[in-house]
Amino acid sequence: MKLKVELNNVYKSFLMRGNQYEKLLELFSIQKKHKKNQKEFLAVRNLTFKVYEGESVGIIGLNGSGKSTLSNLLAQVIQPTSGNINIDGETSLIAISAGLNNNLSGYDNIEQKCMMHGIPKENIEKLKPEIIEFADIGDYIYQPVKNYSSGMRSRLGFAIAVHTDPDILIIDEALSVGDSTFADKSLQKMNEFKKRGKTLFFVSHSAAQVRKFCDKALWIHYGELKAFGETDEVAKQYQDFVTWFNQLPQIEKNNYKREQLASQKVPYIKNKSKLQKETNSSSEWVINLFVALPVLVLGLLVVLGW
Amino acid sequence: MFKVVRQIINEQISHWDLILRMAKFDVKGKYEIHYLGSLWEYINPSIQIAIYWFVFGLGLRQGAPIGDIPFFLWMLMGLIPWFFISPTLLQGSNSVHSKVALVSKMNFPTSVLPTVKIVSNSYKFFTMMAILLIVLIAYGIYPSIYIIQLVYYVICLFAFLFAFTIMSSTLSTLVRDYQMFLQSTMRMLLYLSPILWDTSRLPIPALENILKLNPFFYIIQGIRDSLIGGKWFFEDPIYLVYFWMLTFAILFFGSKAHLRFRKNFMDYL
Repeated sequence: MKLKVELNNVYKSFLMRGNQYEKLLELFSIQKKHKKNQKEFLAVRNLTFKVYEGESVGIIGLNGSGKSTLSNLLAQVIQPTSGNINIDGETSLIAISAGLNNNLSGYDNIEQKCMMHGIPKENIEKLKPEIIEFADIGDYIYQPVKNYSSGMRSRLGFAIAVHTDPDILIIDEALSVGDSTFADKSLQKMNEFKKRGKTLFFVSHSAAQVRKFCDKALWIHYGELKAFGETDEVAKQYQDFVTWFNQLPQIEKNNYKREQLASQKVPYIKNKSKLQKETNSSSEWVINLFVALPVLVLGLLVVLGW
Repeated sequence: MFKVVRQIINEQISHWDLILRMAKFDVKGKYEIHYLGSLWEYINPSIQIAIYWFVFGLGLRQGAPIGDIPFFLWMLMGLIPWFFISPTLLQGSNSVHSKVALVSKMNFPTSVLPTVKIVSNSYKFFTMMAILLIVLIAYGIYPSIYIIQLVYYVICLFAFLFAFTIMSSTLSTLVRDYQMFLQSTMRMLLYLSPILWDTSRLPIPALENILKLNPFFYIIQGIRDSLIGGKWFFEDPIYLVYFWMLTFAILFFGSKAHLRFRKNFMDYL
């Protein structure tokens, strides 16, 4: 089977900044003795796994465990701080806030989104009726999206995304707002996807949904990969954990959470900065000067009234 | 040597069809929820023209013409380009910030977003320029041979807006305060360009020369020169070279910043 997605030691950290000013300094990579207590938050750490063609992988975990960060990394919306991600093919991310233009009607949104995916005009015309039928929101398709219910929004988002024919589809809890009839329809569509050798990621905090949809599951726990393997096995481990956690007294629950979160905060190390620093060679400075200097000279001449 | 500039320009060319179609939706989405729809594109500027004419033309100048051109027409030749420049510059600078969440999930170059704004606003600009020409003829000011350099100055205008929005859309995404700064600056530049008053009447000529550093001074004066006639664009070579060097420098540094930071735009939202 063909390798579709490969992650190697992927880290994504967010700097816990004191204020906007520090962000600005970091942006221009100004060397500054950073404060001793400067911390960064490892949203995901040391993720290494491989996913093959035709697999559907459920990503499960508690709230705030890094599921959405991982799905954004897979969709290449954000870049990893370190490590590398190799993805073979086009990805499409469906989230509840599906990136629809609120002022435009559903119909126009279909056209705009397909267009932005780079689908040629003739194909869009062919796809439109299919998408409208799949979304199944009736005459609302001609209403502006801002009048939609959250269910309608995610139905439209899902319908568009599956019809743009991505190689890798990432579904970030988008189905949790749809009703069961739509969920069944989506399930069918996803099975059809798998048959055609496409790869699916399904993000959810519900083990039951993942069991229904996926062959494999990936449990991410406070940024770390806790388990990856057959759905039943991983889902069982996850459910065991949830049951264990729920029977803890409130104080211990809080302590556990605090400990886990503390382990995600590590001292900030400069050389892991997320901006790949370009080496500003001297020749580049010459070019910069070569571009900027004439402007200054000519500006001076204009002021002097030449 | 100028690889970054080439890359940015190539991205525009290879996505030209997409730019045009996105511009269409941009125009459509803007006024969909208003009863008067795209009529607002003309009602707003008309109200402003009336106010500026009342205050500057009647109030401050007692209706006196500039040269032999009635003040109202003289002002229109500056205001109509300005009604294109100011919103396009501000919207273009904001375009990446407002759309990046939507497009970063796709294989889509963010560098076309400012161009989409420029294109979507230019429909209105060309209509207003056509109306201006009709008004001029109605007043008995017929276009002379100088009208051909209008093409040159419109190219200047688009080149500068393109260069500037590439740079400033990047800056505005990284540092949000920049957008605020830009808004105030644009409000100030309206009065520091030869739009509402004749800068050549300043008591110290050097002051006008300082105002000339503002690239919109070059464009607006040029457009007026082409419509009234009297001065060719190559008659002031130093100013011409200054304008183009400035545009190129902005494009160069803007492309560099854009390409360097665009992978990380999402982190700065």
